[in-house]
Amino acid sequence: MESSEFIVQARDLGKRVPVAGGHLDILQGVSLGIKPGESLAVVGESGSGKSTLLGLLAGLDLPSSGTVELAGEDLGHLDEDGRARLRGRYVGFVFQSFQLMPTFTALENVMLPLELLDRPAPRSRAQALLARVGLAGRTRHYPRQLSGGEQQRVAIARAFATEPAILFADEPTGNLDTTTGEQVIDLLFELNRERGTTLVLVTHDSRLASRCSRQIRLHAGRLLEQP
Amino acid sequence: MNLPRHALVLLLREWRAGELRILLAALVVAVSASTAIDFFTSRISQGMQQQSAGFLGADLILVSPNPVEPGWLEKARTLGLRQARTLEFASMVVAGESFQLAAVKAVQPAYPLRGRLRVTDRPFGRERQTADLPEPGEAWLDARLFSRLKLQPGDSLEIGDKTFVARRVLAFDPGFRMDLLGLTPRLLIRLEDMAATGVVRPGSRLSHHYLFAGKPDRVATLRGWLQPRLLNTQQLIDVHQGRRTVGAALERAEHFLGLAVTVALVLSGVAIAMAAHRYSRRHYDSSALMRCMGMTGGKLLGLHLLQLLLLGLAGSLLGVLLGWAAHWGLLWLLADLLPPGPLPHPLSPLFTGLLTGLAVLAGFALPPLLGLRRVPPLRVLRRDLQPLPTSAWLVYALALAAVLLFMWRSSGDLQTVLVLLAGSAAMLVPLGLLSLGALAAARSLGSLLGSGWRLGIDSLWRRRGATLAQLVAFGLVFMAMATLLLVRTDLLESWRDRLPADAPNHFLINILPDKVGPLRAFFREHGIESSRLYPMVRGRLAEVNGRPALQAVPQQARNHNALHRELNLSWSDALPPANRITAGRWFTDADRGRPLVSVEASMAKALGLEPGDRLGFVIGGTPIEATILSLRQVQWDSFRPNFYLLFPPGVLEDFPATWMTSFHLPPEQQETVSALVRSFPATTLLELDPILRQVQRIMGQLVLAVEYVLLFVLAAGVVVLFAAISTTLDERLHEGALLRALGARSRQLRHAILAEFLGLGFMAGLLAALASEIVIAFLYVQTLALEPARHPLLWLLLPPAGAFLTGVSGYLGTRQVLFQSPLRVLRRT
Ligand SMILES: Nc1ncnc2c1ncn2[C@@H]1O[C@H](COP(=O)(O)OP(=O)(O)O)[C@@H](O)[C@H]1O
Ligand SMILES: [Mg+2]
Repeated sequence: MESSEFIVQARDLGKRVPVAGGHLDILQGVSLGIKPGESLAVVGESGSGKSTLLGLLAGLDLPSSGTVELAGEDLGHLDEDGRARLRGRYVGFVFQSFQLMPTFTALENVMLPLELLDRPAPRSRAQALLARVGLAGRTRHYPRQLSGGEQQRVAIARAFATEPAILFADEPTGNLDTTTGEQVIDLLFELNRERGTTLVLVTHDSRLASRCSRQIRLHAGRLLEQP
Repeated sequence: MNLPRHALVLLLREWRAGELRILLAALVVAVSASTAIDFFTSRISQGMQQQSAGFLGADLILVSPNPVEPGWLEKARTLGLRQARTLEFASMVVAGESFQLAAVKAVQPAYPLRGRLRVTDRPFGRERQTADLPEPGEAWLDARLFSRLKLQPGDSLEIGDKTFVARRVLAFDPGFRMDLLGLTPRLLIRLEDMAATGVVRPGSRLSHHYLFAGKPDRVATLRGWLQPRLLNTQQLIDVHQGRRTVGAALERAEHFLGLAVTVALVLSGVAIAMAAHRYSRRHYDSSALMRCMGMTGGKLLGLHLLQLLLLGLAGSLLGVLLGWAAHWGLLWLLADLLPPGPLPHPLSPLFTGLLTGLAVLAGFALPPLLGLRRVPPLRVLRRDLQPLPTSAWLVYALALAAVLLFMWRSSGDLQTVLVLLAGSAAMLVPLGLLSLGALAAARSLGSLLGSGWRLGIDSLWRRRGATLAQLVAFGLVFMAMATLLLVRTDLLESWRDRLPADAPNHFLINILPDKVGPLRAFFREHGIESSRLYPMVRGRLAEVNGRPALQAVPQQARNHNALHRELNLSWSDALPPANRITAGRWFTDADRGRPLVSVEASMAKALGLEPGDRLGFVIGGTPIEATILSLRQVQWDSFRPNFYLLFPPGVLEDFPATWMTSFHLPPEQQETVSALVRSFPATTLLELDPILRQVQRIMGQLVLAVEYVLLFVLAAGVVVLFAAISTTLDERLHEGALLRALGARSRQLRHAILAEFLGLGFMAGLLAALASEIVIAFLYVQTLALEPARHPLLWLLLPPAGAFLTGVSGYLGTRQVLFQSPLRVLRRT
């Protein structure tokens, strides 16, 4: 495997955590490559290690064994600040619990990553993105004034604001009802297509997973080969 | 990235969302308290300085039997001090057939440098202040001199070779020294007239007084410069020595104000620490998020530090402005008492205010914020991840640095602050254990109560950590407030005790033995209650333990007044009021006629005397020896006859004695005074009313200042309560919504909240009662020089008061919990 072929490449990942009276292997021997522009679904029942894997791939955490390369850089060779810079440049996130800043309006939430990276014209870009996700009229509203689906659409707008090369979504519909979830996922895929972003989607919903170009399944911390 | 701009933008967003209010409130209280106190203590101490300087007529007086070297006065001139010279001596004053010994004071036009003379136009007429002095050739004299010499204003009198016109009645002279020995009737003339009197001859006993006034630091410089140059016969008198009553009260008031500032600052600091803790907890998520978005730890820290700095500047500015305004409020309240005019350093409180704000904020808010730098980004996926706790050492070091800064700021009263700090620190562990026990007990008690109450007490137990923190915080607040309140009350009482409304305002001295009986009859007839009549025998202290006194006392005591002048010896079978035995025992009936003596404690200390030592006196040429039986502490400012040396009855009766007494007479009964003076022409009457009034004015001023300062401490305490309550608010809101979702009725929720806070406040009150007793015991003895006292009421009042205060503010602070929509559980952001 040529490393330049993949935007993310994991080799033999393992994550072991200490627990009362010993340790627990949350992930074991996970190897995987993600090509630019593809959409990958990570499925598995709750507790199978999906979020843990996502955290490792995105450089939020370090594996106990194995390596992760993100955009050609070995995450194990970077310190936390180095990984942070890498995330800022290449990575976007959408979370199950939305993770909006409660004291920021919708618009300010979308502006935040642009401001942090000193991108030009954060306000107009954020406005355009909010319009794109159908919230043009809600820019001045606070998260608590928005429904779950609306909050997640703000989070999606925020994730796309910096035009990341790869987007990690951890159960983005987990807190939403089916219909709203569908709409959010539609939006996610549309934007993904429009901007040619790589998408890593963690879900336990096989219907959502089937819309991705590729699926992998985790079971008790191990990767099951897909049919 | 443009950090400052981002910091400002983030801060504004936080502010708009209402997240910074408590932090800012705590900061504003801290800064406005310290600034206001700074502003008006400098005003008040300036005012008090001038008021009590009014007693002396100057800030500093150099007393010398001879003219001093011109260089000394030149030094004062170069320091920019104002000066005046007076000459004081005793002289016979003659008017026709009558003559009378008077204390004459010859003054220059600059006299007095501080304070004002008060005069009346007729004896016992209406008093008024005046800036005038006697014209050359005029004399102003005591009302008593007018009646003794049978003078009317305008009549003439003679001092030595010169004739003066008796112009006005001198009612109050700020330079008058309240020294009973020197209290012969006073008479004021001009220094220019001195030569013509011919009284000043070689060998005549004169006292040259050099008066100085000016900026306090310059006066202090002069005092420091003069001190080592003084001869044995020369003496410096300043405000603090000048008037014992005012001096002691002043000193205690300064201690108290310093204490109050420190308490207000530390309390605000605690509030800031709690608010900052909550602030940083709320920012775990957003910090983790920003780290996901690519922000480095250093930048994140920078961002928060900048926000802190901006907040600190804004809060401090606001606080300084409020403090400035509050100080004007006080000036308005005390308009009559405070000196007008600008502050000595009008800008320095502004800068110290700003500095204090930033320091308080840094000391108390930095530690929790430092943790934000280390929030793991993984927290966005796993909410339970907490930032690594900031090193405990760093936290303590910062808090300690902040507290040290306060100590330095609040007039460097290190000892008091250390006592408070050590008291609080030493009590943390036992208090923590005690409260845990109390909590467990309350829990088993709670199971007997309704479900709502039980829920509340259970939640206290579940949140043990937070509960303990709150208990300690509340306990600290109540302790600080109770301590200050008690100190204030005892302080005021000690002042009031010293000056009861019926404090003796007249002294009668030089009563001849054959007049004692008639005088008692006079008092009875006019319904005057006098203190006892004490005999006075004048004698010299000549020997100690058989050796000449000058050789027997320690080297540094050789200049002591008691060895160089005649002393007033008296006798009494009962221990006089305002006297307390500190060593040995008081005389019993069996001691009658035995050669024993009781010595005033400070004199005994200065001369190195102890019970059992033998003192040899010479009275009118006759030696007599007496053994020290006891040492007595004497409250000199009690305005009663007090003596350094007291004998049992039956020892001194054979020596010629005069008698003295003191009594209270309301001003309406001035006629009685005239009658008294007429009936007993040979006695000397001293009126203390002017002095008493002055003292009472100063006391009133102190009381107001003390109470005003307490308001700030109260405000700081309230902010702490709210800050502490808000630290658990998020959790409570969520729990409240959850409970409602599970079907709890609002009555149950209300009971739960009330139970929590009432219980919390009650326990905090108990802890505070214990802590206050200990701290107060230290403070009284160590710094405030008050008699230690138990305060049983504290134990009765503090727990319910604590329960009430905490209950009300807790209920108000968390009332929103009652109105939580259960939906909140579903839409948690
Ligand atoms: N730091 C940790 N310590 C202990 N257990 C952990 C830790 N991180 C994850 N786990 C456990 O590992 C398992 C996998 O977690 P996670 O990756 O969140 O699963 P998923 O996202 O698939 O539901 C869970 O049982 C979780 O409780
Ligand atoms: Mg998960």
